Amino acid sequence: MEINIKNVSMTYPNGKQALKNLSLWLRSPSLVGLLGPNGAGKSTLMKLLSAALLPTSGVIEINGQPLPQAEKSLKARLGYLPQDFGLFDELTVEQFLEYMATLKGISSRGSTSSPSSAASHNTFASRHSTMSHHTTTVKDAIRAVNLEKNAKSRIRTLSGGQRQRTGIAQALLGSPDFLILDEPTVGLDPEERIRFRNLFSRAAQDRLVLLSTHIIEDVQSVCNQLIVMNHGKILFSGTPEELIQSASGHVGVFWEKEAQNNHTAPRPLCITEQPLHVTNQPLHVTNQTLHITARINTANGVRCRAVADTLPPFAQPEEPSLEDAYLYLISREVTQ
Amino acid sequence: MNKIFRYECQRLLWNKFFFGFLGVLLLYGWQVLEGVTLSGISHTAPFSPWSFGDYLSRMMPLLWTGALFFLTFFTSSAARRAAVLTDAAPFSPRGYALTRCAAALTGTCLITFACLAETAVFYRWYFGWQDWGTLILPVLTVLVPALVFSLGSGWLLGRIRPWLLYAWMLFPFLCRTLPLPQTACIWNGSFFARYPLTLDVLDPPFSLPFSTAAVQTVVLGIGVMLWGIGMCWERK
Repeated sequence: MEINIKNVSMTYPNGKQALKNLSLWLRSPSLVGLLGPNGAGKSTLMKLLSAALLPTSGVIEINGQPLPQAEKSLKARLGYLPQDFGLFDELTVEQFLEYMATLKGISSRGSTSSPSSAASHNTFASRHSTMSHHTTTVKDAIRAVNLEKNAKSRIRTLSGGQRQRTGIAQALLGSPDFLILDEPTVGLDPEERIRFRNLFSRAAQDRLVLLSTHIIEDVQSVCNQLIVMNHGKILFSGTPEELIQSASGHVGVFWEKEAQNNHTAPRPLCITEQPLHVTNQPLHVTNQTLHITARINTANGVRCRAVADTLPPFAQPEEPSLEDAYLYLISREVTQ
Repeated sequence: MNKIFRYECQRLLWNKFFFGFLGVLLLYGWQVLEGVTLSGISHTAPFSPWSFGDYLSRMMPLLWTGALFFLTFFTSSAARRAAVLTDAAPFSPRGYALTRCAAALTGTCLITFACLAETAVFYRWYFGWQDWGTLILPVLTVLVPALVFSLGSGWLLGRIRPWLLYAWMLFPFLCRTLPLPQTACIWNGSFFARYPLTLDVLDPPFSLPFSTAAVQTVVLGIGVMLWGIGMCWERK
C-alpha cells in the first residue's frame, strides 16, 4: 500500500488552518509514528487519510489513485481508531464487533490469517492466508486485545480502558492493510500499553501502521519512521535515529544554582506536568534560550536537563534521548 | 445487512426506554379504553370504527413520540461519536441508512401492534367481540399517514439538528389543542366525535369525507417523499 500526500492544506469552516501545504509519502510495510503537540494537525491528517474529511487543496493518492475515487477501496482496507469515538452501549463487545465486521464487509469478503496464528495469542501480526470466517475474525480481534472475559459484557459496563481496547479491536478486524491509530494507548495501564505497542509492531511487519501519540515511549521502541508536526506543518520526517542525531550536542544537564550564578534574567524555571510540552518560560542565558525539559530534586540541589541551540558553559553535554530530540525540535520552532 | 438490522433492532427494542414506553403506552391506552371508548363515541357502539378511531387518534401522539424516540438512537451525541467508526467502513451509507430506517419502522410497528393488541383484549374481555376486519380502515386512516409522516420528517429533521426531533415530538400534542379545519380534524381528535353525528344515521358505517381522505393521503405522500429525500441525502 502506498499513500502519497501532495501539497495538502486543510482549513476548517471556522477559518482555522489545520494543515499547511503538507506533503508526505507513506509505504507499507512501515510503522510510522506521528508526534506533535496538541493542535499540531495530527488528527486532521488522520481524518483526511480515513476519508472522513476532504482537503481544502492538494491531492491524496492511494496506490496512485486520487482519494475520492479510491475511497471505497481504501475503506475496505482500512482499520481506523480515532482519538474520540463512541460505541453502541446497548450491545455486547462481541455483538459490536460483529456489527462492525458486517459493516466492513468481512463476512462476505473473508479475511486472511494463518491457521497456526489463529491458535496463537495475537493473530493480527501475521497474515499468511487461509480463509477466516466472520466469527473467527471477531474472536481473533477479541483475543488480540485481551477482552475474552468481557466478550459477552454490555459495552456500557466496561471501564475506560476496556472501551479503548474495544475500539482497537474494531480497527484490527479483518487484518486491514492500513491501520490508523490516533492515541490508541490512552487510558490503558502500563502493562497493556507495552502489549499493544508490541501488537502494533508485529502488525506493521506486512502493512502500513500510522500511530499518533503523545507518549514518546510508545513510538521510541517500535516505529521505523517518525513524523513530527506542529502548526500544521511537518518539522521532521525520518528515522528515530536521525531525529536523535539532530539533537546531538544540544542536550545538557546542570545544577540550577550554577545557572542562577551565570545569568542575569529573572528565574522563570518551571517544569510542565506533561514532559512533551516544552515550558513556555524559557530561561535566557546570555542571549541564548535554554529550554528546561526535566528538573529533579536531589540532595545536592536541583538538577536540570535542558535543550538549547548552543549549550551554556555550565551545562554538561548529555546523550540525547528521543524525547530530548523531539523537545529540541519543537522548542526550536517555538523560539523561531 | 440482516445482521446490522438485527443489532439495530436490539439497540432500539431491548432497553429500559422501550419497555418503559410500552408500559406507559399500554397503561394510557387502557385508561382511554375504559374511560372513553367503553361508553362509545357519538352514540355509536364501543367497538364501532368511530369509537375505535377516536381511541387511535388519542393514542396517535404517543405513538408519534415513540417513533421519533427510535430515531433519536441514530442522532444522539453518543450515536454521532460512534458514527466516526461506522463512517470509516466501506458499507454503502444509503444501505446503512435504509437498514436503520427499517429498524425504526419495525419498532414503530411493534408499539402500534401492542396498542392494537390491547384493544383486541379489551373488546374481547368486555364484549366478546372480534370482528377485526371492520377496524382496519380507521387504522389506515389515522395511524399509517401520521406515523409514516413522523418517520419521514423525523429522519430529515434529525439530520439537520438532533434537538429538532424532540421539538417535533410535541407537534401532535399541539395539534390537539388547535381548532383545525374540518378537513384536518383527524389531527386534533374531533373528527370521530363530530362527523358521525352529521350522517344522521344511528351507528353509521365507517366513511370518510373526500377532503379528509385527501388530506390524509397528502400527509402520507409527504411522509414518503421526505423519507425519500432523507435517503437521497445519504452519501452514495
